[in-house]
Amino acid sequence: MLEPLSKPLDKPGVRDAGTVTLKISGVSKYFGGIRALQDISVEFYEGEVHAILGENGAGKSTLMGIISGALQPSAGEISFGGDLVSPLSPERAATLGISISFQHPAILDDLSVLENFEVALPRSVFQDKPPREVARAALDLVGLHLPLRTRADVLTVAQKHLLEIAKALAIKPKVLIFDEPTASLDQEATDMLFGRIREMMEAGTSVIYITHRLAEVRLIAQRVTVLRDGRVRGVARVDEISDADVLGLIVGRTLGSAFPPKSSRQENEIDFAVQALSGRHFSDVSFEAARGQIIGVAGVAGNGQSELMRALAGLQKSQGAIRLKGRTLDHQSLVHEAAFMPSDRHSEGLASGLTVRENATFAALEKFATYGVLSRKEEMTQVVAAFRSLAVKAPGMEAPILSLSGGNQQKVVMARALLSKPGLIVADEPTQGVDVGARAEIYRILRETSNAGTPVIVNSSDAAELEGLCDKVIVLSRGHVVATLSGKDVNEARIVSAAVGAATHIGDTGAADRRNTLSGWRHFLQSDNAPTFPLTIVTALLGLYIFSQNSNFLSSYNVANILLAATALGFIALGQTVALLVGGIDLSVGPLAGFLVVIASFFVNEDQSFGMIAVGFFLMFGGALVAGLVNGILIRFANFTAIAATLATYIGIQGLSFLLRDSPGGYINAGVVDIINRQIGPIPIAFLVLVAFALAGEYALRRSRPGWRLRAIGCDQDSARRVGVQINRTYIAAFVLSALFTACGAVMLMAQIGVGDPRQGANYTLSSITAVVLGGTSLRGGRGTFIGTVLGALLLTEVLNAVAFLGLSETYQYVFQGGLILISALIYSTVQRRGDA
Amino acid sequence: MNQAADNVTDMLQRRGIFPYPVAQGFVTVAASTLVLLAACLVFAPSSVSPGALAGSLPFAAVMAIVGLGQLLVVQQGGFDLSVAGGVSLAVVIAAHYPDGDNARVLPAVLLAASCALAAGLANGILVGFVRLNAIIATIGVNALLYGAVFAVSGGVPRITTPLLAEIAGGTTLGVPNSVYFALVALLVVSFVLKKTVIGRRFEAIGANPAAARAVGLHVRLHQMMAYVCSQLLCCLAGVLLAGITREPTAFQGDALLLPSVAVVVLGSTSLLGGRGFPVSTVVAAFFLNQLSQFALAIGVPYSAQTIIQALALGFGIGVYSVHWTRNTRRSVK
Repeated sequence: MLEPLSKPLDKPGVRDAGTVTLKISGVSKYFGGIRALQDISVEFYEGEVHAILGENGAGKSTLMGIISGALQPSAGEISFGGDLVSPLSPERAATLGISISFQHPAILDDLSVLENFEVALPRSVFQDKPPREVARAALDLVGLHLPLRTRADVLTVAQKHLLEIAKALAIKPKVLIFDEPTASLDQEATDMLFGRIREMMEAGTSVIYITHRLAEVRLIAQRVTVLRDGRVRGVARVDEISDADVLGLIVGRTLGSAFPPKSSRQENEIDFAVQALSGRHFSDVSFEAARGQIIGVAGVAGNGQSELMRALAGLQKSQGAIRLKGRTLDHQSLVHEAAFMPSDRHSEGLASGLTVRENATFAALEKFATYGVLSRKEEMTQVVAAFRSLAVKAPGMEAPILSLSGGNQQKVVMARALLSKPGLIVADEPTQGVDVGARAEIYRILRETSNAGTPVIVNSSDAAELEGLCDKVIVLSRGHVVATLSGKDVNEARIVSAAVGAATHIGDTGAADRRNTLSGWRHFLQSDNAPTFPLTIVTALLGLYIFSQNSNFLSSYNVANILLAATALGFIALGQTVALLVGGIDLSVGPLAGFLVVIASFFVNEDQSFGMIAVGFFLMFGGALVAGLVNGILIRFANFTAIAATLATYIGIQGLSFLLRDSPGGYINAGVVDIINRQIGPIPIAFLVLVAFALAGEYALRRSRPGWRLRAIGCDQDSARRVGVQINRTYIAAFVLSALFTACGAVMLMAQIGVGDPRQGANYTLSSITAVVLGGTSLRGGRGTFIGTVLGALLLTEVLNAVAFLGLSETYQYVFQGGLILISALIYSTVQRRGDA
Repeated sequence: MNQAADNVTDMLQRRGIFPYPVAQGFVTVAASTLVLLAACLVFAPSSVSPGALAGSLPFAAVMAIVGLGQLLVVQQGGFDLSVAGGVSLAVVIAAHYPDGDNARVLPAVLLAASCALAAGLANGILVGFVRLNAIIATIGVNALLYGAVFAVSGGVPRITTPLLAEIAGGTTLGVPNSVYFALVALLVVSFVLKKTVIGRRFEAIGANPAAARAVGLHVRLHQMMAYVCSQLLCCLAGVLLAGITREPTAFQGDALLLPSVAVVVLGSTSLLGGRGFPVSTVVAAFFLNQLSQFALAIGVPYSAQTIIQALALGFGIGVYSVHWTRNTRRSVK
């Protein structure tokens, strides 16, 4: 475990630079037994830019996570301005003035640019000035000229990075952390950023700057700390250390695993060639591989390597020529020809619910089958043979795949690749998360495969690995090949210096973009409320049509009827909207509404005192509160899916209704019914209340912190957590709110049914979902509209009413309902897809 | 660390009583069923009398068949709410179209099957290819199916055909025929899922669509097929129901929607998709049905029965969700 620390580079005199703002002492971090950081101690000084340098996986981002409060260290402490501040939460860190600009911007796509500011920044930032001015000023600072109401999903990657930086700057932080800020910025934006950093520095901010690029360290930083394998390898003043010394600290990791001998053949036959290949995030890549050669792809992570690998595997479109053994392949045939070993085993490599055997064979099933029926014997024989040659260690063929170690999981992925007898192997980070012993095995297998004549392409962020394994290495920077190394040049130092030293900037500009300059009208079409317009028109036209067929349709009696029914549905649908906004679904709303009416039927009767009636209403809302809490807690703390949790409460609540009353009974107080159904002209007051609720809800959704939080977690829970939203609390609150809206609906329902009937209510689950979908709320979460929901409820009720007025059979009632939901869902999904494109 | 993991699996393997590894869910649901049967024998012998079983088993069989259909959809991470409409439509076609005429039973069944095919394709295309949310798509198709139900029946029940009553409601060797149908459905589903190329690809796609796509499998086509098969099984269930029930109503399928999901969950298939357990699903259907019979026999009112079902469901999900988190949340790098 212990290896001697490299000689520390800090010289006497370095430490007396200024006041220490932030001090990390003895911090270690373990992820499930794997060490990410060990005994890190660093001091950050006021008015200084402190660069943190290191290869991928050195522990830089973990360290920043700890400083920003997103991660808790396993050991060690953090002090700020001399006071001990650990344990640190994201909120605490923000209050202290620690601000971070994440490598993967914590931008919520479904929120507008302004809302992204408002949800992420502490209230104190907006104390002196209105939010628009704060946001505008911060955006001007980074040169991002966008309308504030632009939805973040139309921003380019570079613009999202600038927005992330603007958010970090707006706090006017004492400690400002930049995690690889320039990865997708062009030269101009980078210069601008450096300018800002210098200003911050002069104002006394302590800036922590994480990067892979040595050139940037020279430009901007005063002090540099080098991390390797989770430890500090050295701290130095930038002007006192040479590039060579820094490189020496970054590299020099001992792999400790043996590499197989490289290709010694002198064949000139080119098996695999790529010419001028371009695609998303990489362009003009060319290389060729002679038989028996393993090609390595190197570079700082996120410079187009993984996209190139996907393109080579046919999983991503590309332009240019790919030739395999004389045949030119398009991306369709590449999918079948290439065996892809993804870098993220868990998301793309393994099917975690399946066994070892099933995981090994699902790409090659047809090879063990006659007429589509599998031969278990044949399958076993081949898998056992493959496992033997790959030395897979598994407790059994039927063991769950995740019970294997990372290395053996990866070997299973390799076994699958080899069993499908591919023409090409594309291995993306094949040894990530793999222990040393298994690495050697994986190198051996890749070499054997290559020797047998199957071209092998390996992407690795570990330069030493490429040095040991590959015959030729191409180094990518910002999507371009900056070096093609072969022979003796394939060594770690050359690879790292090519990757780190490259200064090309081809990222897109963060400046104005034609897509973002939307006129007011176009902006409305893009907003969550866009569906309200067509919905209103359809509702009105349909109303006029029915009126033309039967003039009684618009009689004040019928209008009131429709509105009352729509109010009951509307309230329940508002609740459903809240559940959908956070990315859940509440199936229990229907039975809950019915159940609450049953409760009311015991209290809100003719002969009851005012007090008892009040108790009845109290119990209705109390019952709803409990139901909402149960749903929320089951989902957040018992790990139920929203569907499973609310399905269980659905059945349970229905049972409770029948337990209280097995047949209809308990007539509702007529006076109360009258009050609930009171009208102004043909318009029920309750409907006006519903509209008021929807408008207030809409306002809260767009203009208040709880509203942004709801939408934030529906949009992306991970980003929401990083900007400091309390996921559990917000999620449970959403389900409680859903239940409380349902209780309002139940009050209306009570007046309409007039009796406690355990059979009523359940169908409101489906109609509430229908109304919400009609209204344009997305079932993916994050985007929704209360106004649309009310209109959806209105349209649905109108359609059902129309069937009676047009003298149509019940058939049409269902056909209209089904047609409406499908057509609207199709329209919305098409519109959204176009928006995404 | 790796050794620790290996040891755990060793332990898990050794704990198995059978030479063949048995799914944890199957053990749970089978043991629960045995406990329930024992409880029935002790506390409510009338619920397991031959007469009571002859009355309740056909409904368990129907629930099992619908559950198998739902299973296939759930395996693809989907959800088929149109089960209710699908079953109801098959019921009314099988009962109304022949109108008591035995000779028209076969055409009626074929008609029901083609309707099911159409509904399944509609669901499948909307979810698999148009990428609509499964809940929305199947709610919509469900409403359309009910439209068809009313077009066929006008909402009035009709007495079923004698031939259908004999085939679906009769017994062979003392066992209700519907049980044989359910067993055949189970055999076919299990065989296809576990022993054929298509079925194994289907499971892999459900377990991880991204990984399946990465090796070049046709994800969308298989997802669509799940919905088609689900509707065909609903059709079978509906036709059987039309024969079992003397005077089937137009809403016969509604009562099957939630149990269809419940048996899938109790059968330990994850609602997140992936590997499916047809045998466990069928056992769970028997379990859920017998639970109601038991409750009924010991004098529990209808109301409390659904509460018991909800608790059983909640408990089932709770037990398996512990399992899921171990599987899905371990992706810490």
